[in-house]
Amino acid sequence: MSIKNKKSKGEKIFDIFNIIMMCLLSMAFIYPVLNVFSISLSGSSPILRGEISFFPKQLTFEGYRDIFENKYIWMSYRNTIFVAAIGCAVGLLMTSFAAYPMAFGNFYGKKLFTYMILFTLWFSGGMIPTYLVMRRLKLINSLWVLILLSAAPAYYVIVLRSFFDNMPKSLIESAKLDGANDFVCMFKIVLPIAKPALATLALWFVVSHWNNFMAPLIYLNDREKYTLQVILNDIVLQASGLMYEITDAVQTGDGTMVIPQQVQNAVIVVAMLPMLVIYPFLQKYFVKGVMIGAVKG
Amino acid sequence: MQVINMKKEGQNIRKIATKIWADRYMYLMILPVVIYYILFKYWPMAWLRIAFYDFKILKGIEGSKFVGLENFKTFLNNPDFFQIIWNTLYLNILSIIFVFTAPILFALLLNEISNSKFKRVVQTISYLPHFLSTVVVVSMIATFLSPSIGTLNAILKSLGLETVHFLGNPKYFRPIMIISGIWQGMGWNSIIYLSALSGINTELYESAVIDGAGRFQQVLYVTLPGIANTIVIMLILQIGNLLSVGFEKVYLLQNAQNIKVSEVLSTYVYKMGIVNSNYSLGTAVGLFNAVISLILVLLANKLSRKYSEISLI
Repeated sequence: MSIKNKKSKGEKIFDIFNIIMMCLLSMAFIYPVLNVFSISLSGSSPILRGEISFFPKQLTFEGYRDIFENKYIWMSYRNTIFVAAIGCAVGLLMTSFAAYPMAFGNFYGKKLFTYMILFTLWFSGGMIPTYLVMRRLKLINSLWVLILLSAAPAYYVIVLRSFFDNMPKSLIESAKLDGANDFVCMFKIVLPIAKPALATLALWFVVSHWNNFMAPLIYLNDREKYTLQVILNDIVLQASGLMYEITDAVQTGDGTMVIPQQVQNAVIVVAMLPMLVIYPFLQKYFVKGVMIGAVKG
Repeated sequence: MQVINMKKEGQNIRKIATKIWADRYMYLMILPVVIYYILFKYWPMAWLRIAFYDFKILKGIEGSKFVGLENFKTFLNNPDFFQIIWNTLYLNILSIIFVFTAPILFALLLNEISNSKFKRVVQTISYLPHFLSTVVVVSMIATFLSPSIGTLNAILKSLGLETVHFLGNPKYFRPIMIISGIWQGMGWNSIIYLSALSGINTELYESAVIDGAGRFQQVLYVTLPGIANTIVIMLILQIGNLLSVGFEKVYLLQNAQNIKVSEVLSTYVYKMGIVNSNYSLGTAVGLFNAVISLILVLLANKLSRKYSEISLI
């Protein structure tokens, strides 16, 4: 892309400015994460003096000890992993069931089926009617509501369909002549080829389930059912330490519970770490998905 | 004559039936999807009609009283109505001005970096905030801005200034929303522009150089026109969202002090419907929001079609 020609003085200054700018921005992207790490590993007095920035001071693992001893945090971790794993599996299956007929089907009602899915991109029942229907379906306070509510998002279906659209139709036609039905065609021929697209969707499902806060906030009532994000909100932003039996929480004069900063930040670290670890390795899949979606969307 | 017609019709029906039978596996495949969409997407839409009832959960819809537009009137007559609409709109306008343009500038600057390894590293780092949950981001905001342990106040202190309780002051709510929004989306949203940039024909740059264009002029006359389409389309897509502000961040940043500027439609719906169990009012406000959004989306689609026609000519 860059055309090699003699750079003028102004261009050189710009290049240097640009590199410095990018370094500063990178720092700005990383700093809050680094700061949370450092606080989670620091002693209380330097934290309270506001001295922690890039590195921990008076290194301690107290915060993490508190967390690993806490049964509610373990439970929420288990719940979150359950929702992310099952949600991803169910989601991929349902999204494939929706996208395959759209791409390869030629049946009566295909148009209606397509519009049925597309319409939900622009209009939905919204928060309260959905809540009331979930109540009717007896899904309140069940982890399954989180899995089912985003089992086949219209946008994901479109992304997968446009990936399928780029496959040669002859692939499945010859298999059909040999007597294979659509399920066989999908599982044996189409999905193996669509692995990159499925990887993208799988990551989207996992990340969105892992980070979801609104649905668990609305639909879950018991502490035993809470996912990580709800616990994180309660501990860090609402500071309700009593509720989760945080060992080092201290009651103050006005009756509120104060959870030590290193514990709060350790919870943040534990909640964000899995996603931070996976994304750099799987980045190309994420990026590809964004582009497929953008072309069609 | 009639006999022939009937015969033809019979043939047609048989043809249709054979076709449907031939596609039986397709129908079997879409069956779970159709059931799912009816139960989880369309049934809630049918429940939107409680916006016109005084819905009592124990009585069900049939037992509840039909009140017409009463719930909408209640909302419109709410002294906070204009404030809530304005808060929602204002956040989106600010977001278009700042959060929307930041990724474009970022992509343009990144595109000028010639060292591809450095470029890749910066890109990867810039995606980081996208993978953090809203709760984590707000926790970080709270830590960063904390009067006692926060970095920003530590800097203010070291400059001899007074510490500020940012989260408790309504004046800072919108800047916090917008700046954190830039931080969250700048890297991720630049992906689309970077891919548009990589699609620009390099010959255009070569001929620009031959014409004596400097780097800045190349950006102005080659790069920007090259991604103008993408920018316009992304901007049009934003219009459909003018009345929707993501619930999570506003909800988490909201507190008693900033409620006047931080109450938006989605948080109001949550409070009315879920917290206060006033299902009909919550649904009415939600429906009001959804209908206006739908109109905006249709307008945006029309605009986009018009634009892409113009761009085709």
